[in-house]
Amino acid sequence: MARYGMALDYKNCINCKACEVACKEENGVLLGADKHRIWVGVNEVEGEWPLLDIVSSTFLPSQCQHCDNAPCQEVCPTHATYYDENGVVRVDSNKCILCSYCMNACPYDARYVDDRTMTVDKCTFCSDTRLARGETTTACQNTCPTKVRTFGDLDDPESEISILLKTREHFSLKSHLGTKPKLFYLT
Amino acid sequence: MEVEVSRRRFLGGTVAMTIFGGAAVSTGLLSGGEEKHNSSSPRIPKTVTTKTGTGEAEKVPFLCGMCVNKCAGYARVEDGIITKLDPNPHFPKSRNMLCPRGNAGIQTTYDPDRLKYPLIRVGERGSGKFKRISWEEAYDAILNGTDKFKGLKQILDEEKDNRATIGYCNGEGLSKEGFETLVGQKLGSPNYVDEVSICLETAGAGFFATLGVYPEIDFEHADYLIISGANRAEAIITPDTQDMFKHTKRRGIKKTVCIDPRFTNTAAKADKWLPVNPGTDLAFVLALTWVVFNENLQNEAFMKKYGVGYEEYKQHILSHKYTPEWAEPICGIKAKDIYTIAREFMQAEAPVYYPGRRSVFSPNDYQLRRAMAIFQALSGNIDKKGGYIYGNPIMLPPEYVNAPIYDQAKERFDTEGIAFPTLKSGSWIVFRNMVLEGKNPYPLRVMFMRKHNPMMSVPNSAKTAEFLKKMDLNVMIDILPSDTAMYADVILPEASYLERTSPVKAYGFLEPAVVMRKAAIKPLYETKEPEVIYKELAEKLAKPLFEISKKYDKDLQEQIKLRGEKKVFEEDGWNLADAWELPVYEKNKEIIEKAFGPKAWEILDEKGVYYPHMEEYFKQLNPNEYQYYPKSKKFYSTMGDKKRVVCKFDRLATRGIDPMPTWHDEWKFSVPEGKFRLITGRHAQFTQSGTTNNAMLRDLIPTNYLWINKRTAKKMGIEFGDKVEIKSEVGKGQLLAYPTEKIAPNQVFMLHGFGSQSEGLELAYGNGCNDAAIIKDDFEPVFGAAVMHSTNVEIRKV
Repeated sequence: MARYGMALDYKNCINCKACEVACKEENGVLLGADKHRIWVGVNEVEGEWPLLDIVSSTFLPSQCQHCDNAPCQEVCPTHATYYDENGVVRVDSNKCILCSYCMNACPYDARYVDDRTMTVDKCTFCSDTRLARGETTTACQNTCPTKVRTFGDLDDPESEISILLKTREHFSLKSHLGTKPKLFYLT
Repeated sequence: MEVEVSRRRFLGGTVAMTIFGGAAVSTGLLSGGEEKHNSSSPRIPKTVTTKTGTGEAEKVPFLCGMCVNKCAGYARVEDGIITKLDPNPHFPKSRNMLCPRGNAGIQTTYDPDRLKYPLIRVGERGSGKFKRISWEEAYDAILNGTDKFKGLKQILDEEKDNRATIGYCNGEGLSKEGFETLVGQKLGSPNYVDEVSICLETAGAGFFATLGVYPEIDFEHADYLIISGANRAEAIITPDTQDMFKHTKRRGIKKTVCIDPRFTNTAAKADKWLPVNPGTDLAFVLALTWVVFNENLQNEAFMKKYGVGYEEYKQHILSHKYTPEWAEPICGIKAKDIYTIAREFMQAEAPVYYPGRRSVFSPNDYQLRRAMAIFQALSGNIDKKGGYIYGNPIMLPPEYVNAPIYDQAKERFDTEGIAFPTLKSGSWIVFRNMVLEGKNPYPLRVMFMRKHNPMMSVPNSAKTAEFLKKMDLNVMIDILPSDTAMYADVILPEASYLERTSPVKAYGFLEPAVVMRKAAIKPLYETKEPEVIYKELAEKLAKPLFEISKKYDKDLQEQIKLRGEKKVFEEDGWNLADAWELPVYEKNKEIIEKAFGPKAWEILDEKGVYYPHMEEYFKQLNPNEYQYYPKSKKFYSTMGDKKRVVCKFDRLATRGIDPMPTWHDEWKFSVPEGKFRLITGRHAQFTQSGTTNNAMLRDLIPTNYLWINKRTAKKMGIEFGDKVEIKSEVGKGQLLAYPTEKIAPNQVFMLHGFGSQSEGLELAYGNGCNDAAIIKDDFEPVFGAAVMHSTNVEIRKV
């Protein structure tokens, strides 16, 4: 029993995509550019050469935000999307009927269709792979060259993520929607 | 701060868009993988990616072989299949990480296009027509030839045992030394070319000549950074990449200045980006130096103590009037920025002018590195915390090879137009071109090649093809049917890095360690570890080639008369296989136990990493970071008064090279109207040409695009994804356009390593453009290293 979240020191991100590959290899995700559980959002630099606005160029790693108040779970007609005992938003592929309501409801565009099962798939915080084996890191965190990610239990005041969130300023994506995402971007 | 990052926008509007439909590619792979494989044990996965299990798995320490960094990892092996590669946190150099290529290494081993068994050429050279043969037949063909090509025995007989008729090349890797032992020391060839002369030769040499070190950088304590012409975010070097980007954006490094013609991911992480005219960095550094001397900002005491020819250099810079106003029109960086940077740099506590580590871009690269090294020294921030680190090498005992002396062997010849020819690895371009122009003093008839792809790495591929066609015998040892392998007569398939144990390696500097790669699985198909190939080939060749030496070598005949044939053969190194008496694993054990004791071997064997006091020093600090050495034990300062800063290097003048960095106007940058200067470089997702057939990496970056300025593209009617032709005086190719403001209107950029012409590579074949086919074969005058950024090209929409 935990409440898992992730803090992202996103200024470290160099858009190398190690996390995407590690995720695919760990979780057996299909190849294909539209089949990914995690990605790095890129804002192309603005301006005209040679006067480019460096600050406008950002790399923002993103994935399912594992919202505490998840719109995808709310709209799912078959209860395929559920919160597991660790607060991780999961999809039960036996119940999913690919109605795609969740895909439309997700404000983070974090869901895609797995062609093998014809059900919706997304980030699981490696719940059925690494965490099931007793590991304490996700594949993306573990591999990251510049150590962008810290994964951990938000309910444990001693966990690294809790300490980071207490000591560093952070924001979450589209917080105005009230989804209560559990991915925190450190500034 | 709110940032909108949508998947749909992400797919529609960025370079990561798959034009060919990634899904189509991947499903084809998923279903088509099986019938291409036919191996029982170890097993081949049925799908490209494998979901890791939760049951029993083996954890084998390996060293990554996807690029030159040798990051440490653990391979997860489930039921004979490698399902995942994870970082191994014990290695200080790789800092508990694997990059995208490291993660995709599994696909190297399970690439369905791999070379699976020995092949022999049955068609014309370059036709790609090969036939499967046994190992014994392959070794026999190398020795005795076939109806299609001559064997080594006949060639050496015709050349009267001149071993220099054999040339050889090898790319970087842990088994490279063994190949040098086989072809260089044992077979006696002096004609060796490798990646050095198409890579960082001038960078290494410039820093060595000036400071006596190609330094490591202590980014953790640096507070000012100039990074010029190096792209650490996309050309990953450990530990520089990890350390640098944890501290940029004013998180320790107060200011990061990125100097690069194009806006790279490194520029995106900087505080200031200054687009420099390609090949003119030297003018920028000379102007920085002028500001320092003019305003007396340097650490005078440091330079007086350690400088060689320091006063002369000061006069040289001041009297040449290398002012920022002089540099501005040459390098395109504003004079006021040069003043600011020079002052800020010298005022900073711990400033670093990053040495850079990359190919040679311009003919003045050696002098540029010297000027950079001296500029850094002017701050005094050398051999100390926050600066350039010499560190401490963990030395392994040197290996003795019993090499025969070949009386008939001639010296290497690739010296034309080079001031200081390097005996060890020569100059690829000069070596190749002299053979093509008939300037070699004796025939070069054989090329032994391994893990090297000159067709895609040495500028002017057309000439490389011609050179390879000229040979009587080409042998290739590799893991994929590369463009160069297409020109081989005999191809020997090697085990990939996850299928072999490699010779131990030591890394020094700030936190030294010894590392070892262990085989995660047995070699697939009929592939063999390189050291096994060396040994078997040596066994096959030893006696027959000894007979040829006996025929022509007077010294050898004398010795045999004196001591008897058997004794001479064994004692004088003619038994070529004696260098590989022990298997690699056993030999590693012997070396480590001798150097550090049996406990060290146990640790290395289990963890893949060892250094003295590791058990005491190594600690996890938090979920992401580890301590390797306590701060007090790191080798920040090791040189004491042995430091030297060679400002004036007199020996250079003896061969017509400037003893002090000097600007010459022929290096000015200009592009004729209507043409573009081609620049090349890296993305973090690929290593040169070695990874473009990797399904996982292709999934991230589908092809190499031509970066062209947006406004220029608009004028030419070129839009994103349009096919364009790029043409230079040496070759042409086609690729897709990526209009962007990240590049100047008179320049274009393409990623290196794409555009393979080998039909054996399903994903890489015909995908994108090979820059080596476009770049002309200019070389710099000091060592003959290839110059990569001197080619002008024409662009047209197809």
